Amino acid sequence: MSKKDGSKNWVGQPLPRKEENRLLRGRGKFADDIKLREMLYLRFVRSPYAHAKIVSVDVSTAEALAGVAATLTGAEIAAQTQPFIEIAPDPGGKIKDYPLAISKVRYQGEPVVALVAESPSLADDAAELVQIEYDALDPVVDAESALTDKSILHDEAGTNRVWNGVFEYGDVDKAFREAAYVVDIDRMHFHRFSSTPLENNVVIAQWNPKDDRIYFECNNSFPSFAIQFLSAHLGVHIDRIRVETFDIGGSFGIKITNYPQMAVCALASKKAGGRPVKWVETRSEHITSSAHGNERTFRDTRVALDKNGVITGLVSRHIDDCGAYPRYEPLGCVIWSQVFPGVYRFKNARIDFTQAVTNKCPVGPNRGYSRMQHLWFLERVIDICGHELGIPTDEIRLRNYIRPEEFPYTTPNGCVYDSGNYPQMLQLAKERIGWDEWKKKQIAACSEGRLIGIGIGTTLDSGTNNFGQAQIVNPGAPFSGNSQGANCKLDIYGEVVVSVGSCPQGQGHETTAAQVVADVLNIHPDRITVRTGFDTERNVHTGFSGTYASQFAVSGLSAVHGAAQKLKTEMSRLAAFLLEAKEDDLEFSTGEQGPEIRAASTGKAVNYWGLANIVNVNSAVLPPELYELTLNCRYIWRAPFKVPDKQKKYGSLTLTYASQLHIAVIEIERDTFIPRILDYVAIDDCGTVINPPIVEGQVYGATAHGIGAALMENCVYDAVGNMLTSTFSDYTPITAMNMPKVKYDHIETPSPHSYSGAKGMGEGGAAPIHTISAALQDALFASGIIIDDSFNNADSLFRAMTAKEISQADNLVKVERRV
Amino acid sequence: MAIKFAGDFAVKRTPEEVHDFLIDPSRFAALLPDFQGLSVQDSTHFTVKVKVGISHIKGTAEVKMELEHAERPTRAHYKGQGSVAGGNVALTATFDLSPLELDGGTKVAWQGEAQVFGRLASVAGGLLEPLGKKQIQKLIDGLQGALR
Repeated sequence: MSKKDGSKNWVGQPLPRKEENRLLRGRGKFADDIKLREMLYLRFVRSPYAHAKIVSVDVSTAEALAGVAATLTGAEIAAQTQPFIEIAPDPGGKIKDYPLAISKVRYQGEPVVALVAESPSLADDAAELVQIEYDALDPVVDAESALTDKSILHDEAGTNRVWNGVFEYGDVDKAFREAAYVVDIDRMHFHRFSSTPLENNVVIAQWNPKDDRIYFECNNSFPSFAIQFLSAHLGVHIDRIRVETFDIGGSFGIKITNYPQMAVCALASKKAGGRPVKWVETRSEHITSSAHGNERTFRDTRVALDKNGVITGLVSRHIDDCGAYPRYEPLGCVIWSQVFPGVYRFKNARIDFTQAVTNKCPVGPNRGYSRMQHLWFLERVIDICGHELGIPTDEIRLRNYIRPEEFPYTTPNGCVYDSGNYPQMLQLAKERIGWDEWKKKQIAACSEGRLIGIGIGTTLDSGTNNFGQAQIVNPGAPFSGNSQGANCKLDIYGEVVVSVGSCPQGQGHETTAAQVVADVLNIHPDRITVRTGFDTERNVHTGFSGTYASQFAVSGLSAVHGAAQKLKTEMSRLAAFLLEAKEDDLEFSTGEQGPEIRAASTGKAVNYWGLANIVNVNSAVLPPELYELTLNCRYIWRAPFKVPDKQKKYGSLTLTYASQLHIAVIEIERDTFIPRILDYVAIDDCGTVINPPIVEGQVYGATAHGIGAALMENCVYDAVGNMLTSTFSDYTPITAMNMPKVKYDHIETPSPHSYSGAKGMGEGGAAPIHTISAALQDALFASGIIIDDSFNNADSLFRAMTAKEISQADNLVKVERRV
Repeated sequence: MAIKFAGDFAVKRTPEEVHDFLIDPSRFAALLPDFQGLSVQDSTHFTVKVKVGISHIKGTAEVKMELEHAERPTRAHYKGQGSVAGGNVALTATFDLSPLELDGGTKVAWQGEAQVFGRLASVAGGLLEPLGKKQIQKLIDGLQGALR
């Protein structure tokens, strides 16, 4: 492929993904493809109870079964390990989290016993023979109840409260004193859902007695985080742990938290004499016990507005449910504040944020992690205020949006939004969907008794975290900043090889990294080999390396760019010597013998093989002053962050802010209550686009995920903590059959915070959840119904529309009018 | 997941006869649907095995029962706990007996609750209540037949 439109750069070109040739032909390498000699297979025996004491565990019958190599109980693990590190300060910091339950189970599906056997089916049979006696305890299945501490999950913490903090900025009291309108919203709720990657969690572990090292081959998507937890837990120096990842069939963040299963596999291998142990998670295990997204309840929200409907103040109380163990939490208690005011200009706000444990599956950083709940909340606030005050929902947004000329924009809590143009996105979205036409159709449909709603969702995808925000929840947390490493080299025959410490799961890192290097060296991207897949032993990485938090375009590609620049500098010095030319006379180009460097004044050239040959196998010709050249260049990119003010909870928490604006037209069928999407547009702004099809693909993916979450996917628990949606027939993930046609478009507001102007993207800010709630609200507001939950399927709409007390507007929302 | 059940029926036996029948597992256990076996530990404790299956989830439920309260001839109250198909069940069942004045028979008022935990509830939750009620009705029909 050649560059289009006469562009000078490969960045920005719609280059087909280099990965597709391999992946679409079934030639990818996934963790479950690996089969090792003498491999054993692990199964977990899991708790049927959400909350119970473990009275006894009897594995003797299972151990006696022929083909069973070892069993492992929580008590055995506790005797030889330390609890996992807790990020929280006390009381959350007192929680003792082991990978198998010891004296208590705290969610249905919690692993209690692990067995390893010669085959997966033998391990299944053995699991049936384990006898565990439980004494059931009162379960706590919602966070508000949990905070009463009537039934405590972790006795050592003494409370179900993990963390609490008040985020207050500006003069809130003054804003409410001077408000023209005050809108009170009693309760809103963001539901619990998860991700359904094609590939479930997979771990192969070998605790090798020959060298006393632990080898993991797995699909963890943040291995540099995992090894820090594993090292402390297992009491093994971090350099003795090797983690390799390969192609990963989707993660969406939730594979960050499979390190407990990694620990169990390693310990099982150790007990089995060092034989490798493989665990492949089943789909039901994944749904019930891998990781879910955070559930959040918004209480006692008060909104102050001026006479024009501009929000001047906001107070609210947020209660986050992190499930049975905090694990990656309570980072979610602060990560939402990266987008504290959303896309709006209000300056005065107070949010009292509490996180609680409940007898449900632990949460993990699911796509849109922590920010999407808050952004949904803000979008509900803006819609409810608009409807209650009679201001059209597009108009109230325009009155409240941060204005294009205000960027870079500093939020009340010190975050710096790099760039954006929300009014332009709204205008483009309205044009693409045919806003005015749909408004006419809506009026006509209404006169026929049909229920059609048009909703807007404006959201943010903040990327490249400042890990210093961990210190806002725990001042003792030893994290801050962010970095990523990359290596760029000419190998012995002159091939350009790039390695980077990310573990892509479909984001096209091989392609985009090649585009960046191609521009630096002025060669075709096909001439560049990009080695993806994490390897603590071989690949360059930092403590932040992995793939998460919408950051590769900034952190990963900045590292790649830096490494390529260093390589180019070395190549220039070497070529200047060989060609007897000045460095500023050199041109990087491609000649008859491939990529080369040519002296413009003499026409003499040396190709890449020639350069690599001199450094690697013909080095006697090098003068001493060039001995330092390696043509093997490592670069660590560091984000320019400072540690936030922990007391004021103030500071730059994220580097880039991609934005999304979606509009949906939805009809609720009168007879079936099924919400049907009639039209949908998604506008994206991730700054400078590096590869348009990759960006577009990720927008479609995030949109599908969000539509599924809004209308189909819900983790439902009964009163005793049974998860009732543990199979695809009940969890109903979105498929191509349910996906509406999405009109996609984009604008580009380049980020001043990244070298290329690109912003991290891919999480999508859960825009469809906000948008669909808004559209349903638009359809039903005249019926006196407020959409107060993020999940709305035919069943919940039926209940709302036939029994208004569920979300009766008069009970839920009160408006004080002072003008 | 809680399944609650309640009802009553009338039999021609005296309350004493009905009570003696209901507190004797060797007499009534075989009436349990898909009964597989019984082992009696003592006068108030016994274990029954019954086949349980919904679609592909099949297994044998082993339920430890305790006659927690018996008041001849008016009441018998059982509680039990067992495991099945990767899950657990906790149940209570109470039989209140009162004489029928007309024919000297007995009115048997029964009520109970089964709390199901684990895989069975997760995977087949929607089917459990109708299935449970069907099985309970089979048991009641059996009791009525045996006490005829």
